[in-house]
Amino acid sequence: MSSSRALFLVSFDIDGTLETGDPPGPFTIETARHAKSLGFLVGSSSDRTILEQETMWRNAGFDFDFVCRKHEMEFLVSRFECDRYVHIGDTNHDRDCAIGAGFEFEFTDSIFERNPMSPWMI
Amino acid sequence: MVTSLSSTPMFRTEEGLGRWPYRGKVAAVGIGHAPTLRRWDGDPQTSVGAWAILAIRKAIEDAGVPPGDVDMIVLDRETSTGSHWPQGEPVPEDFLAAFEQTDDLQDGLSKLSPEWLLKNMPELTNVKYVMEAPVCMSMVLTAAIEAVGRGTSTTCIAVKGWHNFPGRYYQGGTNATDTIDNPGKYGLAWAGPASYSTAMQFERYMHKYDKSHDMMAPFIVNSRNNGLKLPEGYWAQHRPLPITVDDYLNSRWICEPANLLDNDMPIHTAGAYLITTAERAQDLKQKPVYVLGHAGAGEVHGDVYTGVRSRGIIETLEEAERSAAATGRKLYEASGVSAKDIQFENAYDGFTLFHVFHLEGFGFAGVKQGEALDFFQTDISISGPNPVSPSGGNIGGGRTRFWMHTDSIQQIQRRAGARQMSIEAEIGLSGGFMPFWSNFIVWSSSPNP
Repeated sequence: MSSSRALFLVSFDIDGTLETGDPPGPFTIETARHAKSLGFLVGSSSDRTILEQETMWRNAGFDFDFVCRKHEMEFLVSRFECDRYVHIGDTNHDRDCAIGAGFEFEFTDSIFERNPMSPWMI
Repeated sequence: MVTSLSSTPMFRTEEGLGRWPYRGKVAAVGIGHAPTLRRWDGDPQTSVGAWAILAIRKAIEDAGVPPGDVDMIVLDRETSTGSHWPQGEPVPEDFLAAFEQTDDLQDGLSKLSPEWLLKNMPELTNVKYVMEAPVCMSMVLTAAIEAVGRGTSTTCIAVKGWHNFPGRYYQGGTNATDTIDNPGKYGLAWAGPASYSTAMQFERYMHKYDKSHDMMAPFIVNSRNNGLKLPEGYWAQHRPLPITVDDYLNSRWICEPANLLDNDMPIHTAGAYLITTAERAQDLKQKPVYVLGHAGAGEVHGDVYTGVRSRGIIETLEEAERSAAATGRKLYEASGVSAKDIQFENAYDGFTLFHVFHLEGFGFAGVKQGEALDFFQTDISISGPNPVSPSGGNIGGGRTRFWMHTDSIQQIQRRAGARQMSIEAEIGLSGGFMPFWSNFIVWSSSPNP
């Protein structure tokens, strides 16, 4: 693996996906930390404002790589050169935004059932 | 014995009615709010019924009246516009065990009847009349005010609850069916989100007056800033961060030109006010806030009270503007004041864009049709000469349609806290719903300004 480029960029929706959301989702901040320990770029793409997302991660003590408005995920593709871009969310809107931006998409519930800690490592 | 009265005769929907006959004779003296949640957490003690009871008790305590003095309750039976109890899901046993029930087991859970309240508030020993008003607190509060003015009641509670269950909003009910009957088939089936008609009107507004959506940004930023100073509100309690201009300008479209931040967010809560006679108000805890008059847009046909019917499927901009302007004329006729006397306006903002139509309809701060967006570029803060939506409205407090009334009363009572406006708040207005169906109230620090 190249030491200068992460293989995966993982974007989490917040509400309904992460434990810090409202409603809280199944993915914990520990999941995000585990992904980061593997060299992934980890952050959120949400309808929450940029400041809300940044504040959420900081309050959780997590060193995020990015935050993004959900409908602007294509900017992540141009900003970070990765092999795969994955968004995890709980709504059809998440799916539509992700696929429209060229991301892979996984619904929160289905991927969590398969593997809660490293769902993107298939 | 409790008598149920119709609210339809309570509303002033016509021009030419003259001064409101009870000008200065009715006052708001108590405010009560339940906490807020984004969605119900399943605890019976936070159900919409429980929180309506809590809000009523707080309003009574705030006013300093014995509960047994309350002789009338006015409410809206509906407690949501888009959150439905899942079909087939049984009512939780712990909820049923926690409260006395009516024949409808959803009472207190996804709706609210006066009977349910009276069964569960034994301290209200003297209620003689109950009345139901539609849509929102503006109708409920107006009906309560009129009832006290007419002498039907001397100590009246106006209460509104909002429930929000887990799950998606506006996904159930008619929207979950495969077909739509009734007049909705000519509009709802095609249009899309709830803000569609307002968005369509605003699109034309921008064209007609050569304005841009970006010009709304200061209003949204101001509203959220004010809402963060509203301790009763959702955002202050749960997500106390401001909205920036950048947030607003880059927010995703829901129904262009209405973006996500132009749409209010449903929450779970309840609010109540205690209305009494000006005479009675002199002896109570809080400074009285007098009602100079009320009026709104609507149509009355027999005992049926509805919004103003549009000519087509969806109200046009011009129809909205006409309704808003007519409401302004009616309100000033009723209250005996003019636009220049109104120091602050707390008009409804559920979809931010129609706040423009309300404001222009009232001619607040001398703003004429087509000028509101330019006006938003001036100082509209609580520190300035023309406070706009000092409550923060739904954008600042979450979707309740009652923060504007709370703030108006608190401003005049000088207990708006961090939100207290710099100017001396003596006369202001509050109300909603949308231009085609509304009720507004002019409040005053004195009964005869």
